Amino acid sequence: MKLAEAPTLSLEAGASHLTEVLRGYASAEGLPPSLREAWQAHARQAHLEALFLDQKHKEDWKYTPLSFLRRPWKLAPPVQASPPVSLAFSGQAAELVLPSEDLPALRSLPAPTSVWEALLTPAASLQHYALSQEGYFVLAPHGTGELSVHAATLSVAPGTQAEVLVAPSGSGFLLVRLHLDAGEGAQVRFFLPAGGGAHDLFVYVLVTARLAQEAQVETYDLTASVGWKRSEVRVYLSGVQAQAHLHGAAIVGQGSVVDHAIRVEHAVPHTASNQLFKALVYKGGHSAFQGRIFVHPHAQKTNAYQSHKALLWEPGAVAYSRPQLEIFADDVRCTHGVTTGFLEGEMLFYLRARGVPEEQARHLLAQGFLEEVLSRVPQEALRGWARQAMGFAE
Amino acid sequence: MLTIRNLHVSVEGRPILKGLNLEVLAGQVHAIMGPNGAGKSTLAAVLAGREGYEVTEGEVLFEGQNLLDLGPEERSHAGLFLAFQYPVEIPGVSMVQFLRAALNAHRAAKGLEPLDTADLMALLREKAALLKLDPSFLTRSVNEGFSGGERKRAEIFQMAVLDPKLAILDETDSGLDIDALKVVAEAVNALRAPHRAFLIITHYYRILQHIQPDVVHILADGRIVRSGGPELALELEEKGYEPLILPA
Ligand SMILES: Nc1ncnc2c1ncn2[C@@H]1O[C@H](COP(=O)(O)OP(=O)(O)OP(=O)(O)O)[C@@H](O)[C@H]1O
Ligand SMILES: [Mg+2]
Repeated sequence: MKLAEAPTLSLEAGASHLTEVLRGYASAEGLPPSLREAWQAHARQAHLEALFLDQKHKEDWKYTPLSFLRRPWKLAPPVQASPPVSLAFSGQAAELVLPSEDLPALRSLPAPTSVWEALLTPAASLQHYALSQEGYFVLAPHGTGELSVHAATLSVAPGTQAEVLVAPSGSGFLLVRLHLDAGEGAQVRFFLPAGGGAHDLFVYVLVTARLAQEAQVETYDLTASVGWKRSEVRVYLSGVQAQAHLHGAAIVGQGSVVDHAIRVEHAVPHTASNQLFKALVYKGGHSAFQGRIFVHPHAQKTNAYQSHKALLWEPGAVAYSRPQLEIFADDVRCTHGVTTGFLEGEMLFYLRARGVPEEQARHLLAQGFLEEVLSRVPQEALRGWARQAMGFAE
Repeated sequence: MLTIRNLHVSVEGRPILKGLNLEVLAGQVHAIMGPNGAGKSTLAAVLAGREGYEVTEGEVLFEGQNLLDLGPEERSHAGLFLAFQYPVEIPGVSMVQFLRAALNAHRAAKGLEPLDTADLMALLREKAALLKLDPSFLTRSVNEGFSGGERKRAEIFQMAVLDPKLAILDETDSGLDIDALKVVAEAVNALRAPHRAFLIITHYYRILQHIQPDVVHILADGRIVRSGGPELALELEEKGYEPLILPA
């Protein structure tokens, strides 16, 4: 039997097709006029239509294979394509600020008791997105060829904490656009796991965050096995003592693309940021990392750190790494290091000389390489999930 | 136990060992001394099976087996242990994980079941105490952030855990303070046994005062140029290499 091949578009046609699809989503066609306006307003905020416009000319997409553009994606049914929402977290409970209370898709979704419980429940029984006291999460099982869109604005009240989980599974294209406004002293964690072996899972997560004084954002991007995943995180540190801690660990297998585009802007004095990303790349895998640190002229006493390490498992693995430091203040501590290379023979020999067989030694070293990131994931359930998904469970 | 005959080894085409002969019997302790660059670590590396060393002539028998035919892990399973001159850091892999894998591979090679966690931890704690290492070091990544002296002690700790037949100590005494040297020497002495042998590579007489060798060799320019009893080490300490290496 011959499988029908998916029709392929040119990159240009694919980009304009996706732009059209997102325009359709943003226009909220088919909704009653009373809802449409609010929906449109939220969608405008997310700038969805602009995402795919001639991105292949953009510097930011230089090292990102765009094969996903060749597919004629169609918008998933409304339940999966959630309405753009606004969420306010105030500590006691999260409040969902909807365009209207009448949105049938959202109302019918019960919130599981815990985000973490949800992650560990088999995907089929899950809702596509939900809200709990702890935070907001998107878990989107899709159909192949379908594009599922989630756009949300999160505002976290001063001094409170929230967690956001984006855990796609299944196949299809998940587009998540989140904007965070973190009030003074607020603490927000984003967990962005993806994995489970599906090679027709495409994920594009774009998070923008604006942090007030003493606010803190953490991201944990854990990728075990996907077709294509791009995580774009842009943090704007706009209050003194604001901090961003961004982490990533990825296993990039044959035919898989994992792309991180990070931008941290230090806009005021006394802010700190930290980027720690690691990718283990197999033959036929493609890893890309762009880490931009921008320090404004008056942002003295900035402390910025960046590390990206790609471990090429074998010849035929591809990793691009591009640090961009733009520092316009003079009293700044900024350290960065990017390394790309093969497994160190010295380590392998050390393990083998103690009796560990070569295969097992390589496996231990792979685990050790990513463990530096995994051990920092502050949620045991997620840590366990990642180790399992990456093949490191003991 | 170990027989080395006419061993010639090149690194990147350059001859380093040039006809080395050595016979180590079970129960013995041999010391190898020699100037920098003489080929001592090269000998250790070739015995342990490091890549990049080309044996151009000669043979090495370990308990009757042709050692050079075996991979590094198989040599370890056969009972060979090398304490490295420069132990490498292994980030993200804890000492427990590492030694569990190593010990269980040794056991598998002997047809034994893996150790259960309780027995493993008991063994590791006992040997850590022997080397006066804080138990917390078991959960730290292998050699990561260890001081020079801690790394050397950790090597001897691993030796005690793996219970080898032949242990090669490549300058384990370098970088140890006086107390640590005693701790290491005591651990080695405690392991001296009729079925076990040691090859101690060192620059200093000091460690040999704690661990009495049966034979002392001088390795220079890729060969053993002199062998003698413990008094040879003392003579070296007093006169230096030159008069002892130069043909009379
Ligand atoms: N991997 C290598 N690549 C190139 N040269 C090497 C390599 N390993 C050893 N050599 C060379 O072989 C010679 C012997 O080195 P080796 O490390 O065996 O000396 P050593 O006797 O252990 O010295 P030391 O007392 O300083 O530890 C040196 O000249 C060294 O530069
Ligand atoms: Mg040496």
